Amino acid sequence: MKKFGIITGIAALVLLVAACGGPRRSPGRAYMPDMAYSRAYETYASTDKLMAEYGNKVSYTAMPVPGTIARGDMLFSYPYANDSAGYANSASVKNPLDIASIDMVEAERKYLINCGICHGTKLDGNGPLYKDGNGPYPVAPKNLVSDDLKKMAEGTMFHSLTYGKNTMGSYSSQLSTKQRWEVIAYIKMKQGGGAPADTAAAKATTASMVAPAMDTTKKAKQP
Amino acid sequence: MISCKTTGQRLTLIFLSLFTFCSIHISAQDVAAGKTLFVGKCASCHNIFKATTGPALMNLEERHKWADHKELLKWINNPAGYMANDPYTQGLKAQYGGQMMTAFSDITLKNVDDIVAYINDQVASQGKSKDPGTVNNEPKGNSNAVIFGVISLILGIIALILMQVNSNLKKMSDDAEGISRPEPVAFYKNKIYIAMAAILFFVVGGYLVAKGAIGLGRQTNYQPEQPIYYSHKVHAGINQINCQYCHSSVMESKHATIPSVNVCMNCHKAIKTYEKGPKLYTESGEEVNGTAEIAKLYKYAGFDPNNATVWDPTKAKPIEWIKIHNLPDHVYFNHSQHVKAGKVQCQSCHGEITAMDEVKQVSELSMGWCVNCHRQTKVDFNYDSTGNKFYSIYEKFHNDLKTSELNAVKADKTLTSKDRKFKIDSIMRTVRMDSVRVQDIGGLECQKCHY
Repeated sequence: MKKFGIITGIAALVLLVAACGGPRRSPGRAYMPDMAYSRAYETYASTDKLMAEYGNKVSYTAMPVPGTIARGDMLFSYPYANDSAGYANSASVKNPLDIASIDMVEAERKYLINCGICHGTKLDGNGPLYKDGNGPYPVAPKNLVSDDLKKMAEGTMFHSLTYGKNTMGSYSSQLSTKQRWEVIAYIKMKQGGGAPADTAAAKATTASMVAPAMDTTKKAKQP
Repeated sequence: MISCKTTGQRLTLIFLSLFTFCSIHISAQDVAAGKTLFVGKCASCHNIFKATTGPALMNLEERHKWADHKELLKWINNPAGYMANDPYTQGLKAQYGGQMMTAFSDITLKNVDDIVAYINDQVASQGKSKDPGTVNNEPKGNSNAVIFGVISLILGIIALILMQVNSNLKKMSDDAEGISRPEPVAFYKNKIYIAMAAILFFVVGGYLVAKGAIGLGRQTNYQPEQPIYYSHKVHAGINQINCQYCHSSVMESKHATIPSVNVCMNCHKAIKTYEKGPKLYTESGEEVNGTAEIAKLYKYAGFDPNNATVWDPTKAKPIEWIKIHNLPDHVYFNHSQHVKAGKVQCQSCHGEITAMDEVKQVSELSMGWCVNCHRQTKVDFNYDSTGNKFYSIYEKFHNDLKTSELNAVKADKTLTSKDRKFKIDSIMRTVRMDSVRVQDIGGLECQKCHY
């Protein structure tokens, strides 16, 4: 009987080890923790410990000083606040970028990542989140190639993109000021010129912009 | 068994079916026209079942005077004028953040009838399809390891029993034949058994110790429970949201950046419930209520889904996500360098993230793993217009090598044949651009990652 006891004991142990599956919920140990984990403050680290240790001797704030301007944003200071008067006035703002200097392939990439998810790859307001009402998004995103959006001034688009409009949120944390204007130039190009392309010269530039962008989409599809 | 019907019965049937077909056809036309109008004009701000920018339009005929479509038409054609002496709509404006409804002066009474018909049709069909066809896809546990363990254990026990039986039988036959042997020792005192067990112990123990020592500080398969059950499968897989929508700085920064709460709220200001996706389960098999998880987000954001217009985004608190991929402090890694210049896909290191409900670390993130990739990955020079031009400084170098230098080496009479061969070889190696790996442009230098 003693032997039997030993055997069942070993069997139970092996079974126990084998049954310890499931997800790994612990990060494990490090060989030299002082080399693995930073003593200095790291991005996204908690400041609680630092504050507890040094109290009010540390002046830490996650926010930039009020009035801080991001590098490269000096050219594009946008004057209007997020209110109805600002929305009305925004129509007078023009795209500060030289349209010909914009890399439309990059602008298209930014559009597809940030806007296409709702407004669709064809700008028809039917992205994967809406899918004719079958997606999770409850309201129809704007059709960006509809007549009223074609008439919309690029400044108004910039206002909506910066502050959000209706259920759309602000995109100023995901796209820099320059990138926002680039995306708007891309949308205007796809709309076929629209309001700002009144003069023949502007039409010529948009036409020349359309051609290379189409070339690249062809190239991208080939492989 | 062919059922025969009288001519009268058949006629009635035909009449009946014609009648139903016509009636369905007429109402369907209204509903179809209403759908077109609703999607084109109303759907940007109104959902039938949920309050969004404007109120939910479900059962609108029971509210205010809207049962009279002429009143509704007056409101739609000129909301500002209608509101001037109507307290109900003034209240609505205040409730929805002081935003006036857009005037649709081109809508006619027929249009209003169609739209309301469409809304009522949708409400009716929603009520019918209320019971969801539940597909029970319980996650399967990883039972293979257990099965193999049990089988080998049983085989081991059988082998042990057989050996004991064998020795007992031998003893019995010895007794029967009258051969006297020394009393056999118990199996746990048997030196052969002990030696075998010791060897097994050292092999298995040595393997486990070595494996454990190598695994120190490595977190392969680490899958912590996050403060919110956020499914990458639902977001990046089913709904096709690009990785860079949330991890927007991956091309510009060392970090891929964890999105702040306002990025979540870009969509979740409107998406308040989880209902259209598949059922969600934790790793331990418990079902997850997606809507409750979204409610957790609202708690962090300080957002009241029933009173959306008063949301103040500056009051939001950060979600304390648990970091999964951690490189030791003495290693430098830069996302932008790999994703923008190197054009490495996210999935190469992070695995099939679009199929993961709870994210786990797929790669071991060890030095050997890094170095292996640097040895194997070809440098994407792409001098043509599609490229990122990051390595364009090498272009002249390559062209020079291709033409003049090769000729110069060949023409140089002072070189020994061995030297010449070596030089030509090295030039040819660099000239064939597809043969240049990351290690050839400094991918294995210590101080690139440790400094």
